[in-house]
Amino acid sequence: MSLAAGLAESTVRLATPLLLAAMGEIIAERSGVLNLGVEGMMLAGALAGFAGTIVTGSAWIGFLIGMGAGALLALLHAVLCISLKTDQVVSGIMLTLLGTGLTTYFGRGWVGGDISGFGRITIPVLSDIPIIGFALFSITALDYLALLTVPVVWYFLFRTNIGAEITAVGEDPETADTAGVPVFKIQYACVLLGGVFAGAAGAQLSLGFTNFWATEMTAGRGWIAVALVIFAQWQIWRVLAGAYFFAAIDALSFRTGGSVGDVFLGQEALATVVNFLVNPQVMQTYPYIATIAVLWYVMRQGNLNELGAPSSLLKPYSREQD
Amino acid sequence: MLTVVAALVVSAIPLLWLGVNPLRSYREIFVSNPTNIRGLANILVTTVPLFLAGLAVYLPLRAGLWNIGAEGQLFVGAIVGSAVALNLSWPSYVLLPAMFLFAGIAGGLYGAIPGYLRAKHNVNEIISSLMLTFTATTFAGYLLRGPMQGGGGQSATDQLPGAARLPTVAHPRLHVGVVALVIFAVLGYLLLNRTRLGYEVALVGSNPAAAVQAGISKYKTYVLVFVIGGALAGIAGIIEIAGVHGRLFEEFSPEYGFTAIAVALLGRNGVFQVLLAALFFGVITAGGTTIAVTQNVPTAIINVIVALTILFLLTADFIRDHRITVSYDRSAGSDERGVEGAS
Repeated sequence: MSLAAGLAESTVRLATPLLLAAMGEIIAERSGVLNLGVEGMMLAGALAGFAGTIVTGSAWIGFLIGMGAGALLALLHAVLCISLKTDQVVSGIMLTLLGTGLTTYFGRGWVGGDISGFGRITIPVLSDIPIIGFALFSITALDYLALLTVPVVWYFLFRTNIGAEITAVGEDPETADTAGVPVFKIQYACVLLGGVFAGAAGAQLSLGFTNFWATEMTAGRGWIAVALVIFAQWQIWRVLAGAYFFAAIDALSFRTGGSVGDVFLGQEALATVVNFLVNPQVMQTYPYIATIAVLWYVMRQGNLNELGAPSSLLKPYSREQD
Repeated sequence: MLTVVAALVVSAIPLLWLGVNPLRSYREIFVSNPTNIRGLANILVTTVPLFLAGLAVYLPLRAGLWNIGAEGQLFVGAIVGSAVALNLSWPSYVLLPAMFLFAGIAGGLYGAIPGYLRAKHNVNEIISSLMLTFTATTFAGYLLRGPMQGGGGQSATDQLPGAARLPTVAHPRLHVGVVALVIFAVLGYLLLNRTRLGYEVALVGSNPAAAVQAGISKYKTYVLVFVIGGALAGIAGIIEIAGVHGRLFEEFSPEYGFTAIAVALLGRNGVFQVLLAALFFGVITAGGTTIAVTQNVPTAIINVIVALTILFLLTADFIRDHRITVSYDRSAGSDERGVEGAS
């Protein structure tokens, strides 16, 4: 496999958990509920999916169990943020702590377990296309699924009635309520859906990527998914592009040995700078820095609406207020 | 109090799951551990970073801002402080103050970024401080495998020189950094309750519009609370390195900066309450580490208890807020039974 094809293949595979988690996050956030518990929900999904696969012997049932585990944590978030109107930030951080704690606690017995997980499905002919063929047509069922969810979620959010209602709830819950939109039901459904996606993203990691369970194996991917939604300014297609951008950085960081600068540039000072910039660890910070940069750039010249953030994000809605 | 009990009751389930008697675990955490000198030393030492990082969250919270980035500021302080310690061979009485000074400045500057972005451009401080945390912790990984890596091939620095270590008193684990608990509790109290800035912070937090009317600069307040908070977290980082570990490594902080959010939340009524909250989580963290050894319980139980405490704290808030509504309605002469039934 050539370097470019290998890079493309890793990018597609590394983008899958980001895509899945970010799709869930964008649905939840568009209904006005920020979910900072993605990392915890992904871990719960990864462990539950892995354990479920070992117990039932079926990776698909395991995957479903993983989604359920994510939804269970999301239910807690929904009750706290929507029914009890607590602070979304604190609740989300709490869920990540809880998810990390519980999976580390109960995951101890599953470390070292072995499964075959989801295998590659290679589509003949198409997978022979140079560079991108292997990357797009010889991946696991879950990678295909993740790619498929993007247009589905887009259609759901922007071309259906429910999607319009979600947007209305996220922008102005009071008006939506007056217009007869079931605000609380929609927010609950969106947060739960977010949990299902986060659980799926986690289960994908343990069932379709590593094929084992390790403590804190998500390694911050849940946080990157949160960053991704903001980076993409709450637009589906930008999430897709952003997921590939972040995944490509990740894929590249595995491959640059820190000697790129020496190869391409003669000047020592420049080589030092380039080597620093392509250092794998340094590259891992790019998604976070890029997200702050995008936020800062947009906010500098506009306001929250131009940023694309749902207007009622972080604000619990109560019928009794005012 | 009820919150804490509820959290402990639910935390008993994972303990029972592994066949551990939760009563025995709790007795060790809350009774045996705090009553022996070694356990007490561990508790006090653990409380220091929790309290300082807790203040780093609490101070901006008073101004109505969330600093979710105490963990990052803690890391930056630890990195810069360690760099000072490793590169300057000064005598202890100059080196230690220099380490604290630079760690504080670094943490403060790092904290200034979300404060400035919020004040100047209305960039959400929750997101920016969170992103900066992961930037700092990831970058620490780079430094510890690159420029700051010590001998031995681990991702850690060399041992700090003896002059950079905080002296210990009474017990080999009890470093003098614990006086920070008293110093910063008093300073924090004075700052918030006896100074103009403290008043301005409280006013901006409770009524931003009125604060602006009164001629208070929101810009200055936002940046200052984040700078002071960041500096405190930075100092917490270097105390942890110079007092406890003796060298910088990637996992030196068991997510102090995130537990700090729980500390600030539990102690949001004042600086001394923050201290008590930090002490409470210090008892759990130190005790949890002990039972991990004596009763073979994964240390992750600490995270579970911390998370559940926040969970029940949030729930208790709702019940309390709801009660206020009920009594208000009662005085307004509305249907008592109907309202009570609804709660």
